[in-house]
Amino acid sequence: MKIRKFSRNKLGTAALFLCGFLLLSGPVTVNAADGDGQEEEVTLRVCNWEEYIDLGDWDEEETIDLDSGDIIGVNTMMEDFTQWYYETYGIRVKVEYSTFGTNEDLYNMLTLGDTYDLVCPSEYMIMKLMTEDQLVPLSDGFFDTADKNNYYINGVSPYIKSIFEKNEIGGKPWADYMAGYMWGITGIVYNPELVSEEDASSWKILNDPAYKRQVTVKDNVRDSYFAAVGAIKSELLNSEEFKNDPNYQKKLEEEMNDTSKETIAAAQEYLQDVKNKAYSFETDSGKADMVTGKVAANLQWSGDAVYTMDQADEDDFPLAFAVPLESTNIYFDGWVMLKNGIGDDEAKRHAAEAFINFNSRGDNVVRNMYYVGYTSVISGGEDMRVFEYADWCYGAEEDEEEVSEYDIGYFFSQDEDGEYVITAPSDQVYRQLFAQYPTQDAIARSSIMVCFDDEQTKEINQMWINVRCCNIYDISVWVWAAAAIAACILAVLGVRRVRRQKTVY
Amino acid sequence: MHRRTFSRKYLGIPYAAFLLLFVAAPLIVLIYYAFTNGQGEFTVQNMTGFFSDPNTLGTLCYSFGVALVTTAVCLLLAYPLAYILATSRLKGKSVIVLIFIMPMWINFSLRITALKEILTWIEGNLAYHPFLNTVLGMSYDFLPFMILPIYTAISKLDGALLEAARDLGAGEAQAFLRVTLPLSLPGIMSGVSMVFLPAMTNYVVLDMLYNSTYIMGSLIGSYFAAYNWNGGSMIALILLGIICLFTLLTGGTDDENRRGGALL
Repeated sequence: MKIRKFSRNKLGTAALFLCGFLLLSGPVTVNAADGDGQEEEVTLRVCNWEEYIDLGDWDEEETIDLDSGDIIGVNTMMEDFTQWYYETYGIRVKVEYSTFGTNEDLYNMLTLGDTYDLVCPSEYMIMKLMTEDQLVPLSDGFFDTADKNNYYINGVSPYIKSIFEKNEIGGKPWADYMAGYMWGITGIVYNPELVSEEDASSWKILNDPAYKRQVTVKDNVRDSYFAAVGAIKSELLNSEEFKNDPNYQKKLEEEMNDTSKETIAAAQEYLQDVKNKAYSFETDSGKADMVTGKVAANLQWSGDAVYTMDQADEDDFPLAFAVPLESTNIYFDGWVMLKNGIGDDEAKRHAAEAFINFNSRGDNVVRNMYYVGYTSVISGGEDMRVFEYADWCYGAEEDEEEVSEYDIGYFFSQDEDGEYVITAPSDQVYRQLFAQYPTQDAIARSSIMVCFDDEQTKEINQMWINVRCCNIYDISVWVWAAAAIAACILAVLGVRRVRRQKTVY
Repeated sequence: MHRRTFSRKYLGIPYAAFLLLFVAAPLIVLIYYAFTNGQGEFTVQNMTGFFSDPNTLGTLCYSFGVALVTTAVCLLLAYPLAYILATSRLKGKSVIVLIFIMPMWINFSLRITALKEILTWIEGNLAYHPFLNTVLGMSYDFLPFMILPIYTAISKLDGALLEAARDLGAGEAQAFLRVTLPLSLPGIMSGVSMVFLPAMTNYVVLDMLYNSTYIMGSLIGSYFAAYNWNGGSMIALILLGIICLFTLLTGGTDDENRRGGALL
């Protein structure tokens, strides 16, 4: 999940300058003691994406009635955490919760002197923070499977766990620093009446003349670059030889993270063509425009794709989701603890890890997923509620005519025992269920997009500016001529006025 | 007993504090960032970079074009309207003025969203005419800022001057061109500066109306997203310079005109 609210973000960036300046003079730290002054209170400063945690206040009829019990969000997750923490550990905790709009905004906030203990950026920003040595590693106690309050380590999906352990930056695995929260992939939401599944299953749809001015693309340099690379290398990526390579996964990631001069130049050319052929780059309108039928397809993150399809279903307007065959960008938002917030404060670290664990408890995972629409990295382990929730959402009614068996075992368990299969209405195979828990096939062609170094980032950002800006050499002669004529007329008028006034004197 | 007298100048303290905090301080930060590089060393590289990059210059031209056309459209729409309203003897005149001003009371993003739907209904696919849509959106947004000052300027016009012009043999058209138009120029100028400058930077309108080409505002945003505060600050500073220049120029006409008006 990346940008949600456009205007707020950009305005926020501008406001940052001012706030940052004011805050530099002395960040305010609240060391609140409890009213009677007897008990100590820990303050935990959490910064998360906007609308990315359950804020409670559900209606009675929103209750999720799973086999193992009802789940409903009454209070905010933060209030429930405060209570749970006191009941479990006997320590009062105060959560100061704030939000950010984009990874870059969060980074700017941190650089300008805002202090947080626990933040939830995407994996590439976490990599950046890791390289800059800004993070505190998770403690050994956090990984202790014997502790029943360690909901994270006991519930995290084995698939996600292996990714976090396998991927390293600077010789340290992600898992040492990052506890996952939500994850997803990029793909194309499309209107099946106008777009065929085959066309939607390629990044080349973005500049496909057949869909001229009918596709919107996320206004985001990383996602656009990924799509462009996928489209440029389409032939190679789709070739049998490449797909059957024993090192397929590794090679795919190398290809998709290619930042050579030639690839960047080709991506620029491709994206310029997209700019001329697509409906537009969009920051906020993509979901609504799909639902209202303004556009036929939209590059989207899977979590937002679920939301879009849900919204369209309410108007009986079925949309579908496709994962391009070339490759798809798999992303993770995760909790990390910051050095300048937590420091050596053992009490704060404990509260921060407990906050992660509390949000990883089966019922809370379901609450967050229901509220946010994204997919949690938690599969539940022994706790079946997360899988029950998936079945509750997508399982077919008994009178459903066409059903398909949908296996998501790769996410929920390590053994291939066929225990985690949802019998879903057939259309779900390429709709919400597919976006929420992609098939193993789609996951097999997913690639992580690494954190580019400063030089690469600079080049790609420049590429993006070249795409988006009007180049002065591209302005046509006619425009210059018209401007010159207008300037002449204005000058003549001005001179005449001055002269006339002189004659009045 | 010596009593401290309350001096009127103490009333100015909050304003001085406000100016210091919200005008001077941010400006200093802006200038600091604009003339330093990432390591905090002094440099003019940001400025030379701006004036040697075909993209930033092109964006400046494009923003200028959008602003110019928007201002022209607003002026062409607003002047006749303001003139008719100010000179007519209509009874419910103020109500009509109010109707034109009223959109200003509604949140602008709501208005643009409504406009988007209307345009989609007329044009079908908005993506084919991004420039036109941008100009329409901005004109719609900024029109009241043009109407109001022109209306005020014409309303305040002394009718005796027009009678004198006619007595001296001027026709309707001549009286308008030689008396009304020059005397309403201050209104036009303040209207122009209120429309032109925001039109150069208001990227939200562009974004909502599906124009994928950057204008100055979006360019600054993209620099910030790339952590390049120095380059972004320089663009903001250059814009500020352009605005100052513009205000100076229009302000000059204002003075001149007042002098001319007194002489007439």
